[in-house]
Amino acid sequence: MISAVSAPDVRRGALARHSLSVPVAILMFVLFLLVPLLPGEFWTHVSTEVLILGLFAMSFNLLYGYMGQISFGHAAFFGVGAYASAMVFTRLKAAGGGIGMLDFLLSLLAGPPLAAVAALIVGFFCVRLTGIYFAMLTLAFGELLFYIVFSWYSFTKGDDGIQGLLPPLYFQDAVHFYYLTLAIVTLALLAMWRITESPFGYIMRTLRDNQRRAAFLGINVRLHMLINFVIAGSFAGLAGALWGPFSRSVNPGLLGWQESGVAVFMTLIGGAGSFVGPMLGSVIYTLLQAVVKMYTVYWPLTIGTIILLIVLFMPGGVLGLIEKRIKARRERDAGGREA
Amino acid sequence: MDIGPYVLQLFSGLSRAMVLFLLSAGLSLIFGVMNILNFAHATLWLLSGYITFSIFQFLGEQFGASPWLLLPAILSATSLMALIGFALERFLIRRTYDRELPEQLLLTFALVLIVGDLIKLIWGVENRRINLGVEPVEMLDTLINPYHFVIVGSGVAVAAGLWFFLHRTRFGKIVRAAVYNRNMVSALGIRIPIIYALVFAAGVALAGFAGGVFLPLLPMALGVDHDVIVQCFAVVVIGGFGSMLGTFVASIIVGVVYSFSILFWPDGALAMIFLIVIVVLIWRPWGLFGTELRY
Repeated sequence: MISAVSAPDVRRGALARHSLSVPVAILMFVLFLLVPLLPGEFWTHVSTEVLILGLFAMSFNLLYGYMGQISFGHAAFFGVGAYASAMVFTRLKAAGGGIGMLDFLLSLLAGPPLAAVAALIVGFFCVRLTGIYFAMLTLAFGELLFYIVFSWYSFTKGDDGIQGLLPPLYFQDAVHFYYLTLAIVTLALLAMWRITESPFGYIMRTLRDNQRRAAFLGINVRLHMLINFVIAGSFAGLAGALWGPFSRSVNPGLLGWQESGVAVFMTLIGGAGSFVGPMLGSVIYTLLQAVVKMYTVYWPLTIGTIILLIVLFMPGGVLGLIEKRIKARRERDAGGREA
Repeated sequence: MDIGPYVLQLFSGLSRAMVLFLLSAGLSLIFGVMNILNFAHATLWLLSGYITFSIFQFLGEQFGASPWLLLPAILSATSLMALIGFALERFLIRRTYDRELPEQLLLTFALVLIVGDLIKLIWGVENRRINLGVEPVEMLDTLINPYHFVIVGSGVAVAAGLWFFLHRTRFGKIVRAAVYNRNMVSALGIRIPIIYALVFAAGVALAGFAGGVFLPLLPMALGVDHDVIVQCFAVVVIGGFGSMLGTFVASIIVGVVYSFSILFWPDGALAMIFLIVIVVLIWRPWGLFGTELRY
């Protein structure tokens, strides 16, 4: 049944329709490889943040761009991944008297499964709803998890957060940690690409475009939504696991709705309709933040104005705009030949 | 048994409930009529608090300090907020009616960041508070700030006024009709764009009023709006989108549960509220008093 949905026959919907993804992805990968050649550690550091938050935003887009539901609690899984990995990290460190290479990689691996479990529990309830109700329920669960982490002092250290997540000496070097992040994020994105281009990915697009029709085709709507929710949560958890050693600490703010908002921003800036859109959004958002913060403390005002302009004049994000331009030019050329 | 602490928490819970109601009523009305979820509602509330503070201070310098100056300060801030709301609808919100939900959310979210930072730019990072200098009164084993009565009274008065407006006036009936079916209202020859602008202005004015009224009780601080807006969402979800009665009842539930939770589990007060939201959304997604029709 599922394999009967062959990819090219499916009409691409309003959101995931861009053909620019592959060239843009390759271009971005090459540029990412070259970043450490820039003088100073600053840009390497910023690019690490771009990659981690980009992975987070792309995991959010599995829900939004592909499944058509907006989650305002996605940061909960980012945060759960970060905390799970940080706790394994501190336990192993206390047990071994220091952090070995193997311990470190093990602690990173702890993030995704725990985030997946959290996403399974939360998702079980959330997939029963759609639209604004889905958004509200994810928000409520996200806030609930936030306040649990915030107030369970004996287990999570509350609003102090967990400090001192210093990776092994080799990865304390910014460039080494950057390439580790690049490798992990690249592998994660390849897996994500494989998922979105599989029959499962096309079922997601069907659910986005018309849930009722999908149900009539014999697709178990809730089960597929739940699977996707768990996948998205796991990738968010992986991003969270990388965040701890990157910023050397975790805090409850990682689970808050403002953090979920960051994923939404990045996705809509870059373009929700394309696979790499959120990563491009992360490049724009994070670089802009790094530069603007050098000159002014009024970063929210700046990004707020940019988002306002994007919503008003550039629906579809940066990639959406480029795609539209290319399409318009092609149509003009075609029209000229016919006449 | 000493009931003092409970009475105190009850009053602070009811005051909180009234502020939540004033905010959520506007939020719910705006969502009901034009399907816009206004993330910036609490930020506009905060803005009004700062504006009220400045007007109060200005009047105090002109005429000599007096608690009664709060009244004109609140009224002028409320009118100003109505104008701001009207302008926001005309110039920004209006452009997103035919867009998808996330883009609408993003627009109002951008307003949260912009207005919040503008407040910081104009008023700085210090908290603002008005001290009316009224003596607490002793009742039921405890000392209660009589201002609580003012807040609860004005909240109930606004609720009654809103009910009268929505059920007994022509314009109110049009607004209620628009909650059920916008196209039909429009087809009957009523100019729906004007209705939208006025409803948005009224919602923002309610938030503005709440900002001013709340000022003598709690300081206005940057970032408070981020907590308050999610609590308002909680109220609207529990009560049911578009239902005034539901909003009123849900405000009292949230306000009172919050202040009693503080007594028993100080850090978990908000966790309790989101637990209620989750239960309601799973059990009755359309809220306690909403109708299945709109869900």
